[in-house]
Amino acid sequence: MVDATTRFFEEMDRRGYEPLLAKTAGTMRFDLHEGAHTTHWLLEIDRGKLRVRQQDQEADTVVGADPRLFGELVSGEENAIAALLRGDMTVTGDLRLVLQVERLFPGPPDSQGPHHAFREEAR
Amino acid sequence: MADTNTIRILDGNTFVVSEDTGDIEATPTEPTGLFSIDTRFLSKWVLTVNGERLNALSYDDLQYYEARFFLVPGLATHYVDAKLSIIRERAVGGSFRERLTILNHDEKPVELEIRMDAASDFADLFEVKDEILNKKGEIYSQAEPDKLRLGYRRGNFKRETVISSSEPARYDRNGFAYSIRLEPNEQWDTAIDVQTFAVGPGGRDLRMGLRAHGGERSALQHDLEEWIRRAPKVNTEHVELGSTYRRSLIDLAALRFSPLSLGGQTLPAAGLPWFMTMFGRDSILTCLQVLPFTPDLSKTTLRVLGALQGTRFDDFREEDPGRILHEMRYGETAAFEEQPHSPYYGSVDATPLFVVLLDEYEKWTGDAALVKELEQECRAALRWMDTYADLLGNGYIWYERRNTDTGLENQCWKDSWDSISYADGTLPPFPRATCEVQGYAYDAKMRAARLAREFWGDPAYAEQLEREAAALKERFNRDWWVADHGYYALALDPDGRQCDVLSSNIGHLLWSGIVDDDRAGQIAEHLVGPRLWSGWGVRTLAEGEIRYNPIGYHNGTIWPFDNSFIAWGLRRYGFAEEAAQVASGILDAARYFDGRLPEAFGGYQRELTKFPVEYPTACSPQAWSTGTPLLLLRTMLGLEPHEGHLAVDPRLPIGMGRIEVLDIPGRWGRVDAFARGRLELDKLDG
Repeated sequence: MVDATTRFFEEMDRRGYEPLLAKTAGTMRFDLHEGAHTTHWLLEIDRGKLRVRQQDQEADTVVGADPRLFGELVSGEENAIAALLRGDMTVTGDLRLVLQVERLFPGPPDSQGPHHAFREEAR
Repeated sequence: MADTNTIRILDGNTFVVSEDTGDIEATPTEPTGLFSIDTRFLSKWVLTVNGERLNALSYDDLQYYEARFFLVPGLATHYVDAKLSIIRERAVGGSFRERLTILNHDEKPVELEIRMDAASDFADLFEVKDEILNKKGEIYSQAEPDKLRLGYRRGNFKRETVISSSEPARYDRNGFAYSIRLEPNEQWDTAIDVQTFAVGPGGRDLRMGLRAHGGERSALQHDLEEWIRRAPKVNTEHVELGSTYRRSLIDLAALRFSPLSLGGQTLPAAGLPWFMTMFGRDSILTCLQVLPFTPDLSKTTLRVLGALQGTRFDDFREEDPGRILHEMRYGETAAFEEQPHSPYYGSVDATPLFVVLLDEYEKWTGDAALVKELEQECRAALRWMDTYADLLGNGYIWYERRNTDTGLENQCWKDSWDSISYADGTLPPFPRATCEVQGYAYDAKMRAARLAREFWGDPAYAEQLEREAAALKERFNRDWWVADHGYYALALDPDGRQCDVLSSNIGHLLWSGIVDDDRAGQIAEHLVGPRLWSGWGVRTLAEGEIRYNPIGYHNGTIWPFDNSFIAWGLRRYGFAEEAAQVASGILDAARYFDGRLPEAFGGYQRELTKFPVEYPTACSPQAWSTGTPLLLLRTMLGLEPHEGHLAVDPRLPIGMGRIEVLDIPGRWGRVDAFARGRLELDKLDG
């Protein structure tokens, strides 16, 4: 079974372009540590154009996290900024990239959004 | 801090609040300390000489980032016999540095035991006014040969305070000490450095790049001088106006804040010391106030708020796609999601105001590039207004919090729990819609239409926005007009029933332009009429309303920032005299606060108290109070960007004398404005 992290990065690569990152350029490496083993994902952003590779290569920003936590971040169960403040996710390099890419993570699965009374009545 | 005997210095969001001796002994009622990134790093910092506490002869807060305390040992009655002087000079700028100097005035040598007790409770800013009993993590203290390390650990969350000294000290877990001998007339000094750390495992300090400038004193001094040099000069016969302007400029410099790695760009934080962080509403309104004087703040604010614009639904943070944030925090409660500020999005006015600021900014600066850069963010903001914010589907912006534990009930600027009521004093159910927010929405659409036409090459969108704005104006004037009394209701409840109290919010409606021309006169009359006008300013809620209380936070006090937008609104509809009256009242009040307007002051009749009674508030200076004199100057001088040049149409009260504002920056380069007071304000005393 493909995990949430792999799905997230494969989807980013497939998408190829993300308007929310149209003003962003840089490379990000995600180091997901599990014991002695580290999985690397490299995300290249060129004014919205996206490319993902599984490579350990120098990057403008390096994000470190436990693979389980990262899986929860990309499925919306955990929040990246809170995780960063807690020290559960670490960042070296350009923090702005993290704040931009973090916006692509989904919201919590149980979040409903605004209560639109009129839409509920219409149902 | 309500207590006037506390001394505050700051740089960015690192600040020190202490007693007038320089000591720190934090309690819930006296929340002193060294703070950074919303965390207290020192809760105890007490200096003794031979076991004796010290007394303050005097102190100077030299600049916002430094202070000096002159102390002597012993009780106040012993001052005259003091054979020792102790000087504490301190500055913040990245770390907290204190230079301790001790002078022996005696003819004999003295042996002295100098001790500093040091400790930290690592309280989150949200906890400092409570007894801190049950921190979830572990507090530790380690004495090392050359330093004292105070720390707090909760999982991977770690904050540390590291104290070292230029003169060798003996460190123990509760502080550090020196044993010295001073010959007659000899002096001794040491430089103490207190560093704060917020480091994740293997990561860098969270605050990398958080500071606006180098932390060295000379860099801070240079930065402040540059800031003042770049701002327009105000020359005036009205001595206090000149000093109020200067005070505001310096306080604005102090309130600058560089959020998460912006490479030195700054935006105004909301207030010192407890609100040294980004607030959507406060930052935007302050930028609007000071645009003619320091336009760069607007550019950063728009960029930062745009970069953090909501993209998804998050009920805990009340985030929606397109919504502009309300508040960002960096402390333990945000980290562990005990508070939602990572960031929190629970306000309904920041989003339309974001669009308003972008348009106003372009009108002044001609910075078309930024308008193009933020096109997507603007469109997303406008979409949010029409969709997610319109909870009843009837074309208004409503609010009802989804985070029912820690979210805000009232998501407008009057955000206290009892600020929105019917005339009978009862509180309406949710969702609620307040009037000024509908005005901002109208203004945002009108302004966005100009941006769409002139910069985004989308005339169809411009027409659509204008149609929507016109429909909103018509609808609003029908649904919110309280015909019996001739003003607009403060709010509507979900059944469309009016919260029909008379409030200052109607002044913001003038500013937004949503008021029908034939009703503007009635609104202006109310604003300077006996129920709202105190003689110093316009009350948040009119005298005679059931919930009116001259010291009710949003139910009767006078907010300088509120008045500055009211004055701007009055001017917009041609009520120059009334605008000058508001400006004059507020600037008169500023004299009683040494040019530093508080967040709010009492709504008492001017005749009754003769001086404005300060509301016992937590924050001073407050950004939008600091911005108030600048917007009032703009309003009185009638400064308005018009077809690429700066129009000046001064309407000053006689008492103001002559005013010159030199080197006003904008698309025109730099120009000067001159004015002389000619208006007679007979109504000034209320």
